[in-house]
Amino acid sequence: MAAFEYRQAEEIRAAFARHAVRYLFIGKSGAILLGFPDTTQDADLFVAKSCENGESLVKALQELGFFLSDEQAADIVRGKDFVQLKNGPFDLDLVFAPDGIERFDDAWRRHVEVHGFPVCHIDDIIASKVASNREKDRESLPRLRSFREYWLRHRLG
Amino acid sequence: MSGDSSQEPGFSDSAAIPADWLAEFEAAARRPLEQRFRYSFIKTYKPVLDDAPYRAFDTMEEYRQWCEENLPDWLGYGRVRVPTG
Repeated sequence: MAAFEYRQAEEIRAAFARHAVRYLFIGKSGAILLGFPDTTQDADLFVAKSCENGESLVKALQELGFFLSDEQAADIVRGKDFVQLKNGPFDLDLVFAPDGIERFDDAWRRHVEVHGFPVCHIDDIIASKVASNREKDRESLPRLRSFREYWLRHRLG
Repeated sequence: MSGDSSQEPGFSDSAAIPADWLAEFEAAARRPLEQRFRYSFIKTYKPVLDDAPYRAFDTMEEYRQWCEENLPDWLGYGRVRVPTG
């Protein structure tokens, strides 16, 4: 599997728009969209948890070339908290209940648009990394917090 | 951009940005988004994590536990433990 490309992010944006999927880029991929210079491997999407949104998401993913069995599609429609896809044209993590964020609607109210990509606010990205309390997130938090200061001053996109 | 900044959780605005990080942020800000993507998204093999085409977890707690029990420590997916006693 090759690295995630800008073209593929555009394909997500287009397919998700066609199917009216409610989602936000989150995690380091979201921070990179905001302008954070760092490296990551996968795209992380925070997806609103509802049957309707799950059904739209399944259609969009299939359109993008992800192979989903009936059982896997049912997982997504039901809205498991976390789904990891490596069965399509690129790797994708679907997060339905990220640590540190109570509800999708709260994150949506705070979100920013970067070139048409819906992205979690930097404070939500930081909050989810703090709450996940992983070694790799703990290491990246000081630099991410500094980026937050920079981003708030300049509002990059 | 959209969004309601009045909803932002409270973080201090007073933190100073180290000079080397500031230089990196400013350099990144000058790059087009497509170029930032090329510089940021990389692919290296992650043992165990990359060995299945699909995984799903009912809860984030279940996912975190799976990571701790199945992934090598050096990948960094384990949670930070606070020493007791």
